[in-house]
Parts: sequence; C-alpha cells; structure tokens
Amino acid sequence: MNAVFVLILGFIVAFIGYRFYAKYIDEKIIKSDPKRATPAKMYMDGVEFMPTSKNILFGYQFKSIAGAAPIIGPIIAIQWGWLPALIWILGGALFIGWVQDYSSAVVAMRNDGASFGGLSYKLISPRARVILLSFIYFYLLLIAGAFGNVVVSTAIALKAAPMAWLFLTMAGVLAGQMIYRWKKDIILTTVVTVVISLIGIWVGTIAPSDKILGTDLANSRVVWTIAAFVFCYFAAVLPIWRFALPINYVASYIVFLGLFFGIIGVFIIHPNFTLPAYTGFSIKIGPIWPIMFVTIACGAISGWHSIVSSSGTARQLENEMDARPVGAGVMFLEMMLALFALIIAGTIYASPAEYGAAIVKGPGGIFAGGVAKFLGALGLPANLGRSYGSVMMIVLAVTIMQLVIRFMRVATSELLSDISPIFRNAHVGTFIACILGMVLVLTGWWQYLWILFGGANQLMASLALMLMTAWLMSEGKPAAWTFWPMIFMFLTTIAALLFTSFNLLQKVLSGAVKGQDLIGNTLMGLVGLFLVVAALILGWEGFKAFNRYRAIKNQAAAAKV
Amino acid sequence: MGDEEKKKGGFFQAIKEFAYGVAAHDSARFAIKSRASMEHLFILITMGDMLGVPILPPYYSLRLLPYVVPQIATWKRRMLREKDLTDALA
Repeated sequence: MNAVFVLILGFIVAFIGYRFYAKYIDEKIIKSDPKRATPAKMYMDGVEFMPTSKNILFGYQFKSIAGAAPIIGPIIAIQWGWLPALIWILGGALFIGWVQDYSSAVVAMRNDGASFGGLSYKLISPRARVILLSFIYFYLLLIAGAFGNVVVSTAIALKAAPMAWLFLTMAGVLAGQMIYRWKKDIILTTVVTVVISLIGIWVGTIAPSDKILGTDLANSRVVWTIAAFVFCYFAAVLPIWRFALPINYVASYIVFLGLFFGIIGVFIIHPNFTLPAYTGFSIKIGPIWPIMFVTIACGAISGWHSIVSSSGTARQLENEMDARPVGAGVMFLEMMLALFALIIAGTIYASPAEYGAAIVKGPGGIFAGGVAKFLGALGLPANLGRSYGSVMMIVLAVTIMQLVIRFMRVATSELLSDISPIFRNAHVGTFIACILGMVLVLTGWWQYLWILFGGANQLMASLALMLMTAWLMSEGKPAAWTFWPMIFMFLTTIAALLFTSFNLLQKVLSGAVKGQDLIGNTLMGLVGLFLVVAALILGWEGFKAFNRYRAIKNQAAAAKV
Repeated sequence: MGDEEKKKGGFFQAIKEFAYGVAAHDSARFAIKSRASMEHLFILITMGDMLGVPILPPYYSLRLLPYVVPQIATWKRRMLREKDLTDALA
C-alpha cells in the first residue's frame, strides 16, 4: 500500500469522526450551549481559570499530549504487521480516543473545573480518589522509565544526538535568561536560540559522541541514563522558567519544523510499504490481543490526554462549543502523527530482517532514519537528517520525562512528608523519583517496559472513561458511547498487564534471570500487579456507582408511572 | 480582543494563535501561576483570618486591605478549592 493512501485514509477517518460522530455527540447528547458560562468565565482568576481562544488551546492541547508515545508505539507495533497497527490507530482514535479526550474536558467543564481526584470522590466513592491518585504515581514512574529508555537508546544508537541535545539545552537556558532576565524581544530570542539548536544538530554530525568520549563511554547505558536523569533533576529543582520551560519552548520549534517538512517529504516521495501487512497473531513480545493494543497508546487512545483535558484545558475553555475542536480535533491530529510514524517504520526498510536488526537497538534510530529520508526529499543531507531526527526523538521523550519527575517530586513530598519532614525537601523528592526511574531504565528490558507503560496509560484511559460514564448516568444522559470503550479498554489493559507481569515474575521465580535483570523484572512485575489490583478495586467501586445511578433512574421512572 | 477583530485576522490569526499555544502558552501559564502563588501566600500571611486561619491581623494588614480587596474573591476560591496531584501536571 502507498503511504499517501494511508495519510488520505487518516484524513477521511478524522473528517468522519470530527464532522459527524463528534458533532452528533456534542449536539445531541452533551447539548453544548454557547450561552452557558464555562468555569473559565465563572471563576476567572487570571491564573488557572482563564477564558482562552480555541486556537491557542488547540496548540496548547496538542503540545501537551503529543510526546514520544504516538511515534514509538507504531514503530514497535509494526512487528505484528502494518495492517493491524493501522486498523487500531484509525479505529481506536475514531471510537475511543476522541471520546475520552473530549468527554474528560466536558465532564470537568460541567463540574466547575474539578480535577480527577474530586470527580472520582464525587461520582464514584471516597476510596476511589485515594486509589486513583496512588495509581497515577506509579503510572508516572513507568512513563519516566519508558521514556528514559528511549532517550538512552537514541543517544547510544545515534552518536550525533548527544551533542545536539547539549546545544539544545544551552539554547533553552539562554532563552530563559534572555526572556525573563534580560527582557529581550521574544522574536529575537526565538531566532537566536533556534539557530543555536540547528547549529548543534550540525555540530553533532562532525563531533559524534564516540569521537569525543571514546567508544566505551559513548555506548554506555549507565552514562546516558545518568545524563538523562541529571537533566530531569535540574528541570525538577530549578525554577521552571530557568530550565524546563525555555528548553521546551526552543524544542517545540525543532519538533514542529521537522514534522511539517517530514510530512511534505512523504507526499514528495510517496513510498510503498515494504514490511508485511500481517506477520502473525503471536510474536516475541506477546499476542496481538491484548499486547498490540497497549503498545500503540497515544495515537489511538491515551490516559495522559484525560489529565491534560480535565486539569488544564477544561479550565480555559471560553465557550462550550470549543470543547469539540480542542478535545476531539487535537486527538485526530495526533492520530495523523501516529500514522506518520507508522509510515516511517513501514517504508524505510527494504526487508523485515533490516527492520528487525534496527528495532533491537531501539525505536530512536528508526525514527531518525525516517526523518532523514523524508527531509532528504527536500534536499537535506542524510547525516544532518539523522542528527535532526535523533534530537527530535530525544526532545519528545525528555520534555515529558522532566515534567513527570517534577510532578513526582511534588507527589513524594505530599505522600511521605507525614512520615518524615525530610521528604518535604525538593532535592530528596527529586532524588527518589530519579533513582526509581534509573533502576527501571538500567535493569528492565525496554520492550516490556514500554508495554507496561502502555498498559498503565490505557488503564488510566479506561478509568477516565469510567468517570465519564458515571457522570453521564448521574445526569440521565445516554452513556453507551463511553461505557463500551471503557469495557474494551479495561479488559484489554488488565489482560496486557497481567500477561506482562506474569511473564516477568515467572522469569524471576524460575531463576531464569540474575543480577540486574532480576531487579528490573521484579520491580516491573510488581508495579504491573499493583496497577492491576488498584484498577480492579476501582472497577468494583465504579460498578457499584453505576448500579447506584441505575437504581436512582429506575426509582424516578417508577415514580413517574 | 473583540469578536470582530478576531474575525478580521482570519486564517493567519488562527495560525499565530496556534503557534503561541504550542510554544508559549504553557510558559505564560506557569509564570502567572508562580506570581499568583506568591501573591496568595502573602495575602494568606496578612489576611489569613478571613479564611479562619488564626492570625491576629496586624496594623499593616489594615493598611494593605484596600490593595487586596480586588483579589479577595479569587484568592478565597483558589485557596479553598480542592486540589490533587493532577493539578501539578497541566
């Protein structure tokens, strides 16, 4: 199949989903009303509750949800063949993905901008809030581990990446200084820092890490793991304007320039898929159901989006009618990003054997190869293109990682400060988060770690859909459009997490793994089991809440008669 | 910006706003959040008795009161609103 056909198919699905399905739900079930005051208007405080243009929110939502996951998932999942991956990306986004993103924004918007803790307390039960928040902590730990692995494998596979990453970091710090301290013009700052980053991409090609550090250090997982977490450490403890935000600001230009020109390159080259459409039901990392459905997380459906939609976007919507373009529209845009990644993985290798050799080293190399090929269509030399792709991959992963570590610092302080006041110290909380993340990166097999992350992420999505279903039932609205996606995601993710945890712990108990692998397998297996238990308790609480709402509805119906 | 003014901008205005949303909206929000946190902490220290925090209002609180009045409603709401871990993420 031709890659352009896949992109066109994506546009058609996005059009149908947005123009018909989402519109129908928005008009007939949610009954969005432009005259109803949103929390942003009712509680405007100029800080979190602030009416904001839908175009700005569209960009904000996209930037917040589009990390490395929609790219890495399809690159790994093509091992089952490109056709199942394509069907899941299109079907998942059409029937589940936008439903979750949009309804998360709507339910928060209609509940005074409440976040998930408050919503689960109100709609499900008091216990649900505690379990959900504990679940989120471990979910974030898996994000740090999985994305940390991406950074490390990319830095090892592509020797130009570390120098480009270093230049980007320096450019970001300079941007923070220029904007906030020297009060320089934003356009001048942007031009200077983006040019420095581009120079870094070029310097990476002439000063690769193995030439500077030697082959041993350049190929050391320990070195790049420490580098990644030191980066996150600074992002978590320094004032956010000095490190994390300006680096993300500069990085966003690098990423979007790459994606924009890369997609133009796909249209110019319009390659055919060279990998098989279907390889088999069961492969080395597991069976197609449930494992493929959690391997491709963002791009089809992702629990992360529900957190952004509820705690971030819902408090800024100036009009109820904006929930559809922002919540649903951005999800379909991310679906296109996942299709771009699928095209890269499916078209740049001449044979499955070549792809198999590349995927062993991690998805970063494949993505960088694809970016090089498609930017090459516009005249960029291949080595520069690979350097560009590698820094894109690192940036997409590390921007989410640093946010997660910063958040885990806050969470550690809140959860453990009653035990000892030392946990209130920012450095202690950050150190704990970094150490846990590093243990996962250094001792876990990256494909299992990715599946566990995907499982936790999709489980988060099913829990978000459970909240939406409870809200719809409490309002007496039709809930099938969130209920059945919730059931599918719940069963799939529980099965995926159990399958992966069972495999990991079986290796531990049978003595098949030793040394550092023993630590990684045990930790990942236990985290997986914890998530399953937490989700089952939440599921039970949700089930009781559904019955409660159903009983109220039946009583009301009986009273009418 | 008024509705008519927005319409005039059309497509390019939308692109400009999208770019701002991608690149800078988050930074602006964090900057405002940091400033608001400091301001609200200051109001809590000086006017905490309004929320039931046992602070004996000093003379200076009375002097500051006229400047704080416009912020009291949003300050109270922000201080008393239920927050959880996800608030730190977005």
